[in-house]
Amino acid sequence: MALELKRVGEVLWELDRTYRADMRVPVRLVADESLLDQVRRDRSLEQLVNVATLPGITRWAMGMPDMHEGYGFPVGGVAATRWPEGVISPGGIGFDINCGVRLLATDMRRADVGSLERLVHELSRSIPTGYGRHGRIMLSDVEIDRVLTEGCAYVVRERGLGREEDLEHIESTGSLTDASAACVSERAKQRGRDQLGTLGGGNHFLEVQVVDAVYDPAAALAMGLREGDLTVLLHTGSRGLGHQVCTDHVRVMDAAHRRYGIELPDRQLACAPLGSKEGRDYFGAMCAAANFAWANRQVLTQTVRDAFVRILGPSTRLRVIYDVAHNIAKIETLAGERVCVHRKGATRAFGPSSTDLPAACRGIGQPVFIPGSMGTASFVMVGRDASSDVSFGSACHGAGRALSRTAAKHRVAGSALRRELEAAGIVVRCASNEELAEEAPLAYKDVERVVDVVARAGIAGKVARLRPLGVLKG
Amino acid sequence: MATLRRALVATDYGTSSERAVEMAAAEAGTSHALEEHGGEVRLRLRAPSLPALFDEAARAVAELMCDGGGSLGEPVPVDVRAPDREALLAAWIDELLFLSETRKRVWTQTRVERVTDTELHAVVRGIEPVALRTQIKAATLHDLRVLERRPGEFEATLVLDV
Repeated sequence: MALELKRVGEVLWELDRTYRADMRVPVRLVADESLLDQVRRDRSLEQLVNVATLPGITRWAMGMPDMHEGYGFPVGGVAATRWPEGVISPGGIGFDINCGVRLLATDMRRADVGSLERLVHELSRSIPTGYGRHGRIMLSDVEIDRVLTEGCAYVVRERGLGREEDLEHIESTGSLTDASAACVSERAKQRGRDQLGTLGGGNHFLEVQVVDAVYDPAAALAMGLREGDLTVLLHTGSRGLGHQVCTDHVRVMDAAHRRYGIELPDRQLACAPLGSKEGRDYFGAMCAAANFAWANRQVLTQTVRDAFVRILGPSTRLRVIYDVAHNIAKIETLAGERVCVHRKGATRAFGPSSTDLPAACRGIGQPVFIPGSMGTASFVMVGRDASSDVSFGSACHGAGRALSRTAAKHRVAGSALRRELEAAGIVVRCASNEELAEEAPLAYKDVERVVDVVARAGIAGKVARLRPLGVLKG
Repeated sequence: MATLRRALVATDYGTSSERAVEMAAAEAGTSHALEEHGGEVRLRLRAPSLPALFDEAARAVAELMCDGGGSLGEPVPVDVRAPDREALLAAWIDELLFLSETRKRVWTQTRVERVTDTELHAVVRGIEPVALRTQIKAATLHDLRVLERRPGEFEATLVLDV
């Protein structure tokens, strides 16, 4: 049967649950015609239909405008399952648990800083990037358990890496209280022991940027962002520790789901009821890995601060604007019902009336960061109250891939891209041209269109645009 | 593929040419290819036997991770268990990724000595690469297939999260 989507809003589409016999809810997608056309080119809609079959799923399986093909869940997929009889699926969070984005703002104006060559070089010298690179911290057994249990609070309060006020500007203050270090395997801990403060590889990055447009002056003012300010955007996650947590628990659930009478259209959707031992164990381990990721971004923040001070002087200050997770599951309340919201490549986007926001964000909405591709702009948005009804309080997490990595490498010469970026005044640090090509702007959807669709859907509003000046690719 | 084969040749045999190795691989009926996938890496593997198929999967992963080169370390025994043949393939790759990250090596030479539908024993040797290329997070169970099309003709599909 053809995937016939019906328009149910200006930029909202629905696939009825009668499309396939095993669907429990419809599928919904936030997109305009152009993005819908791009979504149809890969298997992401089919994957979202698979998500709609999960036991306990409520309302609909949701696709964001940056949705593209993943494994199990599509990237850009959101699903809410009823607590405690609904399921939790590690495939609905992904291997990089709490992969996320943190925005830092300096008190410096772009005009006050000359060439960024030295600064970007210092950042690249200070921050381990790429697969297998270890950080400067080696955690003992006790210390890694404290990171897993306490998250950011441990590295700020016990290790002195950051400031107390940083914690207020991190989703869930960088510490999920349901975390269980005991549910994280020794193998996962072994992988994470030396990885705090590392960027990793793939699409992870650090960008030095300038605020080059402000769309919502009141929200920008509340966040402390002014046109011309220098900012830093960090994108990384829970590294090998998180990968191992997902691997371990997918195996457990792959073996267990039949005991609960669960039939799955895709083995990577392996899952177990939230209230089951397998479900509880995974949730505790996932929260612990999320804490590790927030601690990782906190250590990186301190490394960035130190590098700025070394190059730009001792009075340089960087504030945490906010830190958002985009691969995570959280227990939230939706229209009075407790649900587990799976966000796989999607960002929480609570509106201004939410009480689960730092004081500075109340009344304006939760900050949402939408990174573009290398060389294109990133956007700061704020969640709207309507997101609760439309998308389980969620927005997109980036531009979304339009080309596979292989196709990108065939169509883009990394060396030429490097020259183009440099000609545009962007300082680039990336180990190889081949890796650079994989993340070329051509490989991604148009981030401006994605952001506009999010705004038209009423789930988040545009606040500011950030233009890249320096890129450190993971 | 050729790049790593060249590197492996230089490491293991010193004088053999890349073409000779590719011919040997073709004769042995083993191959791998990267297929289009929207966000990740999909591997298509072919081999005349199950042990060769698992070795080919390891070779593909090593090629994705680095260009090869460097001296081989000591042999490391690897034992993996899983509930079925497909899950065993994913578990084998996951074990290599775990060992890569914790021992800082890429396993460019593997020898699967014994494999059933649920157990595998192998000996692997790895290099310390100058630079690692692709970060592979894990082998997924999505679209995972291991088939014996006819006697002496095994085929597998494996999606890696990168």
